[in-house]
Amino acid sequence: MKWKRKDLLDLENLTAEEIKHILHTAIPMKEILGRPIKKLPTLRGKSVVLLFYESSTRTRTSFENAAKILGADTTNFSVAQSSVNKGESLLDTAKTLQAMNVDLVIVRHSSSGSAEFLADILNAGVINGGDGQHAHPTQALLDYFTIQDHLGGFEGKKVVIVGDILHSRVARSNVVGLKKLGAEVTLVGPPTLLPPEMKYLGVKISHHLDQELPGADAVMALRLQLERQQSGLFPSIREYSKLYGLNKERIKLTGKDTIVMHPGPMNRGVEIASDLADSVQSVIEEQVTNGVAVRMALIYLLIGGGTVNVVD
Amino acid sequence: MLWIKNVNLVDPTQGLSGVRDVVVRDGIISAIQERLQEQDVLAVLGTARIEEVQQIDGSGKYLFSGLIDVHVHLREPGQEDKEDIRSGSRAAVRGGFTSILAMANTSPVIDQRALVEFVRIQGQRAGMARVYPIAAVTKGFKGLELVEMMDMRDGGAVGFSDDGKGIQNAEMMRLALEYAKLTGCPIISHCEDNDLAGNGVMRRGEESARLGLRGIPASAESVMVARDVLLAGETGGKIHIAHVSTKESVQIIRAAKNIGIDVTAEVNPHHLLLTDKDVTLTGTSFKVNPPLPSMEDQEALLQGLADGTIDMLATDHAPHTWEEKAKPFAEAPFGINALETALAAVWQGLVVKGLLSPEQVVKLWSLNPARRFGLAGGTIQVGSAADMVLFDPLYKEMITAESLESKAQNTPFLGKEMQGFPVMTWVNGELLMENRKILDRK
Repeated sequence: MKWKRKDLLDLENLTAEEIKHILHTAIPMKEILGRPIKKLPTLRGKSVVLLFYESSTRTRTSFENAAKILGADTTNFSVAQSSVNKGESLLDTAKTLQAMNVDLVIVRHSSSGSAEFLADILNAGVINGGDGQHAHPTQALLDYFTIQDHLGGFEGKKVVIVGDILHSRVARSNVVGLKKLGAEVTLVGPPTLLPPEMKYLGVKISHHLDQELPGADAVMALRLQLERQQSGLFPSIREYSKLYGLNKERIKLTGKDTIVMHPGPMNRGVEIASDLADSVQSVIEEQVTNGVAVRMALIYLLIGGGTVNVVD
Repeated sequence: MLWIKNVNLVDPTQGLSGVRDVVVRDGIISAIQERLQEQDVLAVLGTARIEEVQQIDGSGKYLFSGLIDVHVHLREPGQEDKEDIRSGSRAAVRGGFTSILAMANTSPVIDQRALVEFVRIQGQRAGMARVYPIAAVTKGFKGLELVEMMDMRDGGAVGFSDDGKGIQNAEMMRLALEYAKLTGCPIISHCEDNDLAGNGVMRRGEESARLGLRGIPASAESVMVARDVLLAGETGGKIHIAHVSTKESVQIIRAAKNIGIDVTAEVNPHHLLLTDKDVTLTGTSFKVNPPLPSMEDQEALLQGLADGTIDMLATDHAPHTWEEKAKPFAEAPFGINALETALAAVWQGLVVKGLLSPEQVVKLWSLNPARRFGLAGGTIQVGSAADMVLFDPLYKEMITAESLESKAQNTPFLGKEMQGFPVMTWVNGELLMENRKILDRK
């Protein structure tokens, strides 16, 4: 399959075939990651800019590593040390990047739609590294890679996502693609964090975790932003944890060797207990590794010429 | 001196809708009759020279009393980069509006008589649409102390509003309604509960969830509509609800009218023509407050217009600079630039589709506003001032930044072709716009 897209902004417009193509391309990338010398000449001379308006350790580092392994030059355009603090608008920043003739921009921004905003202006490719509450497509893709690795596929697999669905770009992107791939998704959370309008996603919505766990092949806990408690969205961390926190005892309700996922960073003891996070069922560290592989695949597809077989 | 022939004259005050000739002398309507002869016209005008009379063939066109828009933001003083009274009143005339009510959320806020007079005088200097100032309800829009309402009314204010912000304190609103009875002017309420609205940027619902944009629940408006009509009932004050956008607001206003509360309400064309489904992540021209409604809300608004619950149309013309709108959706300011597109939008979106009649348009956008705010205009009858619009239902125009008289271009119709425009506008008998161009005075 020939890759034709300039950008990856969300998964809404991607076909199941395209998603599978990305996942397929990531397989040799993961193999490269396991080598003692992790460096390819493939993207030598290509420039990748990491434009991060929100703090992020793992996503930024993951992208940066992915680009470097492929041989591209990376530049960090992080907010604290740029002209953004001097009041430059996203529009002017985009024009500046355009003038520098970069090949790929990876953006994270607190406003939904900011990646699309950039993509409309730039000739360079744009990868959405998370925009507001809208989308986080590379997180979803690395989750799919992990699920595929462990469960062998998606058709008929039951995936439960639990937590603050309303404010989660990870949950939105995950559901959109999982549906396309044929998985059966259930969203779980308290009514204030999983309000009725989330039914637009067209998957099962539940407020009772214990009822949904039986039969689950994969369970994903979302990071709970603790400041939501102050704004009154749930009464206490204690009650949240009691109702929606994952732990070793509770996960037994699935009746299966369920894999346990988390996009990180974790609040141990809140949405996930350490006994589970560090257990054999946990694939959380693999998610991080797979994140680099999937991002290598994407960067390669977007600016590397588009065929799979160039990789070694 | 002016003789408009064979024009479809629509004047709900007289129950008139038919082909007539209209003669204007010294800014006053002098004759309205079917098929006038030249000698009759000359007699009415008291002249022997037909060359002195401008003759206009009105066949195929409508003649409306000049539209009156009770809700515009002209941004002067203080935000002249977005708009000023001159550019805004030129945009009004180009859009068929002969009178506009300028909201008080300028910088400084219009909360003293000198500022009211400034707005009025700037309107006179521009010499375009009649500009009527709306004064603030509370000093500095702070919601703490009432403005000098009587002094401001005497300076030319025709209503009071903290529009742009809801008055959060119920007691403050109660006092305003009570005190404003002295003035005879309505309080215009921008109904928005700040806590419920939160940091929302569009109507809360499945579309906001899909886009990952923070939602403003319909209740943010409706709870304050309920509060304010109750307070108007209790005080016997006059309330006008600005930009109604939810089903529940319509139901509340309908119920309030049924029990005799002195309430009127306006709706904005964009709330009748666009919904939350039209919002996209990069479409900041669709970002407006109150936000674009759900389909269900929109149906209720149309029903409210049809049954008289909603009394008038108003644009809520809210110009913003291109730079301010060239941002991600959540960061761009709320507001739609509307004066020059609103009539065409209503015509092609509602009149052509049979949802509103031309008679209703004139009633909702000229007669009712004039009555509620005690303004001249709203009718074309012998002896009244000639504030008129010649409307061509077939005229087509592409909306471009260059063609707009407004300084701003934040309209959802930019780049689109629309049909049905005013082709002539007269204020006080003076022709100020012809063939979509403002006639600059010498």
